[in-house]
Amino acid sequence: MITITRAPPYLAVQDWGRQHSRSLGVPRGGAMDLFALRTVNAVVGNSLDASALEWALGGGAVRFDRDCLFAVGGATARATASGRDVAPFTTSFARAGDELIVEQIITGRFLYLACDGGIDVPALLGSRSTYLPGRFGGYEGRMLKSGDSVPLGAQSTRHPALGFHAAADLMPRYDSGIVHVTPGTQEDLFDESAIRTLTESEYRISSASDRSGYKLEGPPLANSLGTLPSEAGCPGAIQVPGDGLPIALMADAPTIGGYPKIAVVSEADLPILAQRRPGASIRFQLITIDQSQRALRRRLSDIHAISQHASRS
Amino acid sequence: MSHTQLRAHPLGDTAVTITFGADRSAELLRQVHSAAHSLKAANILHVEDIVPAYLALTVFYDPLGTSYEEISRKLLDACDRAMHSPPKAAPSREHRIPVRYDGVDLEAVAISTGLSVEEVVARHSGRIYTVDLLGFVPGFAYLSELDTALQLPRRAQPRPRVAAGSVAIAAAQTAVYPLDTPGGWHIIGRTQTVMFDPTRDPPALLAPGNTVRFERVE
Repeated sequence: MITITRAPPYLAVQDWGRQHSRSLGVPRGGAMDLFALRTVNAVVGNSLDASALEWALGGGAVRFDRDCLFAVGGATARATASGRDVAPFTTSFARAGDELIVEQIITGRFLYLACDGGIDVPALLGSRSTYLPGRFGGYEGRMLKSGDSVPLGAQSTRHPALGFHAAADLMPRYDSGIVHVTPGTQEDLFDESAIRTLTESEYRISSASDRSGYKLEGPPLANSLGTLPSEAGCPGAIQVPGDGLPIALMADAPTIGGYPKIAVVSEADLPILAQRRPGASIRFQLITIDQSQRALRRRLSDIHAISQHASRS
Repeated sequence: MSHTQLRAHPLGDTAVTITFGADRSAELLRQVHSAAHSLKAANILHVEDIVPAYLALTVFYDPLGTSYEEISRKLLDACDRAMHSPPKAAPSREHRIPVRYDGVDLEAVAISTGLSVEEVVARHSGRIYTVDLLGFVPGFAYLSELDTALQLPRRAQPRPRVAAGSVAIAAAQTAVYPLDTPGGWHIIGRTQTVMFDPTRDPPALLAPGNTVRFERVE
């Protein structure tokens, strides 16, 4: 078990989401930063898509109720366990009764905490992730609060060595602010100037941004298309409503929608966008679908390499 | 193989959207659903999810196993074959959903349409609707076709919260909100019927092609 001794403003069980239920209206959901989720899982010897705790908006503390390998990563945070600093994406060990204290989140938005064995809550529609709008999944369909105890799964036989850490050059460039995009499904319906504006301007993450989407502030994109018959979107799709200010759909976004989509954020760079806070700026760079898929395959093979090294360490 | 009307476009790294036509119609929607059934039955390698919509269906796939080029070619061929074979559809089910017509917008809808409240209720409950699609949030079913006299544009300002069970109308459609969510449709009533329960099999009460009749209760 892991007990929440001082809950941060947002703390919820997430994994890689629901991959097979979109036709029922169920969003993918799951972790906002899949790279961080998979990497914290890799360094504790879990399967990459195991469930972990997604942590945001402030500090807090949790207590491990059994001996546990754990790791944190994603947003950068000042964290200590039994008085010792906890480094990001690093295999760490806690004894039963030790407390992990996250003083504050310094940069980024979402911090992940993985424990060996994962978080053992029931899977619903193929996932343990929490879907807050529908009040299902995760721990009783809700955020965790102080006093909650969540069960951990059985520890695996793989025991990465303490102090193993994911090499820094395998990380997404979280601080670059550059996010690659591929052309969206309605890209050909937009004026050419709209694509230029999107890729040559700086956009800021609006305060109107949450797990379902990030509104972007910057030069509006000329859009005379209005609303089209609804079709599927996905996390990373950049849709343009009537006011011309783009919205990047995120994990909990509705499965279908009627706003035209000008571009889609490359899966490999989605963590960079997800970790940007309101007020932070980003720039979009257009690449081909082939380049984008190659970047994603590279990223995933990097994570598999981290996982294999961890297990051999 | 010729794909005269079919067009594929990537939706990011993990999905392809196949468009069947440019104009919304019941016939086009039927073709999309029929193709979605065929694709599902074909169990194509690396395909993870199929999402039908009004003009297009979107297929989510595993980009580690295949490339956009390869999967889009396979899917276009499969959709083309589906369009040239007898239509496939899930067996239709009929549903009766009891509604208490006391929604916050009922009187405003009566005023906007120039009908009496009684007439709005009679026209809404006096039809059989067909489920076009599920989408937006879990279990949200778009039902067609609303009586023309009741058709109004969405509210200019969406509400930040519409309660689960709200029965609402907008343009040519009606729906039941399965969970508390923001919403811009006109709320005319409410139901106790549970539209979505992830522990149930199937989780969503309604499926595309099903029919629905709303029954007035006091």
